Amino acid sequence: MSTRIRVGLFVTCLVDLVRPQVGFAAVKLLEQASCDVTIPRVQTCCGQPAWNAGVDEDARDIARNVIAAFEGFDYVVAPSGSCAGMIKRHYTEVFENDPAWLPRARALAAKTHELLSFLVKVRGIDAVRATYAGSVCYHDSCSSRREMGVVDEPRQLLASVDGLTLKEIADRETCCGFGGLFSVKYPEISERIADTKITDVLATGAETLTGGDLGCLLHLAGRMRRDGKNIAVRHVAEILADMGDDPALGQPAK
Amino acid sequence: MNQDPRQFPKAAREALNDPLLRPALTRMKMNFAARRAHGVHAYGDFETLRVAGRDIRDYSVTHLDELLETLEASVNARGGKVHWAATAEDARQAVLAILRETDAKTVTKGKSMVTEEIQLNPFLEANGIVPVETDLGEYIVQLRHEPPSHIIAPAFHLTKEQVADTFRLEHTKLDPNRSLVERNTLVQEARAVLRAKFEAADAGITGANFLAAAEGAAIIVTNEGNGDLTRLLPRTHIVVTGIEKVVRDMNDVSILLRLLPRSATGQAISTYVSIMAGPVGERAEQRGFHIVLVDNGRSKLIGTEAQDVLRCIRCSACINHCPIYGAIGGHAYGAVYMGPLGAALNPGVMGVAETGHHANASTFCGRCAEVCPVMIPLPKIMRHWRAVEHAQGLAPKSLTFGLALWAFAAKRPRLYRLGASLLARALKLFGRDGAVHALPLMQGWFAVRDFPAPQGKTFQEQWQARR
Amino acid sequence: MSGRETILAAIRARKLKQAPLPGPYKAPAVAGDLAQTFAKKLAAQQTDVRVLGSMADVPDAIADILRGRNMAATIHIPPDSELALLELPNVEVRREPPGQFDAAVTFASFAIAETGTLAYAAGNGNPASWHFRPVLEVAIVRPGAIVAELEDVLTDLRAKGGLPSTLNLVSGPSRTGDIEQTMELGAHGPKSLAVLVLKS
Repeated sequence: MSTRIRVGLFVTCLVDLVRPQVGFAAVKLLEQASCDVTIPRVQTCCGQPAWNAGVDEDARDIARNVIAAFEGFDYVVAPSGSCAGMIKRHYTEVFENDPAWLPRARALAAKTHELLSFLVKVRGIDAVRATYAGSVCYHDSCSSRREMGVVDEPRQLLASVDGLTLKEIADRETCCGFGGLFSVKYPEISERIADTKITDVLATGAETLTGGDLGCLLHLAGRMRRDGKNIAVRHVAEILADMGDDPALGQPAK
Repeated sequence: MNQDPRQFPKAAREALNDPLLRPALTRMKMNFAARRAHGVHAYGDFETLRVAGRDIRDYSVTHLDELLETLEASVNARGGKVHWAATAEDARQAVLAILRETDAKTVTKGKSMVTEEIQLNPFLEANGIVPVETDLGEYIVQLRHEPPSHIIAPAFHLTKEQVADTFRLEHTKLDPNRSLVERNTLVQEARAVLRAKFEAADAGITGANFLAAAEGAAIIVTNEGNGDLTRLLPRTHIVVTGIEKVVRDMNDVSILLRLLPRSATGQAISTYVSIMAGPVGERAEQRGFHIVLVDNGRSKLIGTEAQDVLRCIRCSACINHCPIYGAIGGHAYGAVYMGPLGAALNPGVMGVAETGHHANASTFCGRCAEVCPVMIPLPKIMRHWRAVEHAQGLAPKSLTFGLALWAFAAKRPRLYRLGASLLARALKLFGRDGAVHALPLMQGWFAVRDFPAPQGKTFQEQWQARR
Repeated sequence: MSGRETILAAIRARKLKQAPLPGPYKAPAVAGDLAQTFAKKLAAQQTDVRVLGSMADVPDAIADILRGRNMAATIHIPPDSELALLELPNVEVRREPPGQFDAAVTFASFAIAETGTLAYAAGNGNPASWHFRPVLEVAIVRPGAIVAELEDVLTDLRAKGGLPSTLNLVSGPSRTGDIEQTMELGAHGPKSLAVLVLKS
């Protein structure tokens, strides 16, 4: 596919703050798929923390900025099922009673995608040029699975990575316990749910845990570090963009 | 035992530390999820069935007044009587009046969450009437003076040893040295003890899974058959149930019957489905059939963003698949309805101030909405209660402040970029070997996790630098 | 205001958009021969399902079922039932309601193939409590009684004047999973269910 299209990359606040290499990996993958990538400088957050907490006015203010910044692109892509899901599934709820912004929210939702499903379904990418020696298990975030319907595409692309063996977690449908602010509002419950997921992850024998949502990965990596378990954790975009040599989440720089 | 929803965090902590609860939860989670998945797969096109269920229940909720009036006329035509109870107190008084009128002293009870909700048992006991739970799980928790911990498996949290201890303590007329090792022995003992109660009962009280307006029928599903013995043996049968249970007719019920057992336990049908229209015709003397319709806050939800929770057919699928319930069990909620059902319902009928935790203790993973047989958008309703809580100034102050700060910056890109750059550097500075172990902020995070340290420069900074 | 008026007024004051009448729903068609499907589904629920030639085979079957469970050769039959005319040479027949250790036999009003379910319309000769009192329940299914789904039962009953006071659907012996999520039989209702499906 060689027609070039204009993509606005929604970097996400967590990637921007904690793991910029995911942003660079996304740019690389999109450019390899013949996209002209722009990173609107005015982007901050999708507004989900405010929306989920019921602080509707703040969510609306933030969402208006996102719509204004991104509605001019052909597509909006985010390396996150959670943020893409907020824009695609919930912006119309945010502006349910706003006749001026509802059509704009709907229009933006129609062209917003999670990164991997965008590459596979819209750009027709079925393989990546990357090497990653070792076994990897993929964590499906709840928003990727349930809001964005992204389950097969990450696996399809990971299967094309040289040297990579994919192992599947036995229970792929249960939450990891992050849930945004839930992780700090009810820490002990969050911890117990994480530990159940981590037991499943370790049972696969995989050397790396990966996934499409940085929130889940920070929560699981942070919990594993605290609990003395040291399997490597990376965002799936890093692996697919052949950036798997960087220090893993929570691991020291070499 | 926690009976106060405001104590949720403390009760949840206790549940997490309860060594007996953990294996019970593991077993419960595995069983229910696997059985439902199997049942759903065996059905074929389950999604179309869910849509049909949703449409039937939506019709009910939006035509509730008409259907309730039709129900009453049908019940009257069949020689029964309908009582309308706006509050829990009205419901209790209605039941008491019927029992007094018929001179009832002992009452057997089929499983009814609504009677838990209105706290009927202690009220009857205070008025000299003895209620005996007959659903095995309800019977066990009744003996132990505990509330049920699940809406269809009330005693799932107990081991068979705990049940044996309870029976040994309470069934005082039996040989104290008898063996109570086998589960089936416990079941047979309960059967014998309760058979005597069934036969002696003056009245029987059941709930209803559905009410069919056209036929004037109440429908209950059980696997034990206790609901039927509760109805069929005594002189009087009283059905106590919520106003929202009514549907147009038995054909609606037939469709919902394909959804309910499958969603609960994966069964194609419960062992016993009883369609009860009017007084029992078996004995010569005058028999009574009464339906007590309970509002108790349900009508308040109509026309609000929480209206859809009234579709609920009480299958428990949402509870069975909830990661929070799966970690802490039912008692921690301190309310009759727990898990996602409780989170969507309780703030509406009990108030946000009382039950705010229920709506807040959710990751919004969406599994509940995915398995709900009538497609209730449960996380959406929970979010609505969080918005109500915020609007009423009831959300925790520290969180509200933190969010307000975040939102302030998020609306101002230059300020945000500056703040993010500073924060990224600070987090890197606090990091040891790639992770931050503690900070004076975000206690909730650091209590149980480290935080992977950032590189130090934000993506935006690095991107700008590369241009 | 009465409770009735209070509740109806509360609902009417709040009602907003009215949902439309639900469209028709047709459950997946029941595969194969209805009698066979019925027998297979019920047999999978810990039920002793036997296919017999006709009513003439019933007395021996009943005697065999009782013997096989080490029960006394006694069975309870409702006094006004059509079954009251049945001759059981090797089995004592009693007419009073069965106790918790007894056996009883009745005709099923219908047999639903979709779910392997017996349907009993309570009435003269078919007292509803008899399906719950005994430890062993025997049901006889005559050829005309077998239908595909519950909707067929409802259509038939409507044609005959409506629902009985109690319509019981039974799909196996009594069971409970209330102790440690493990299924045990015989909680309150019959511990054992035997069904005799007559070919003619």
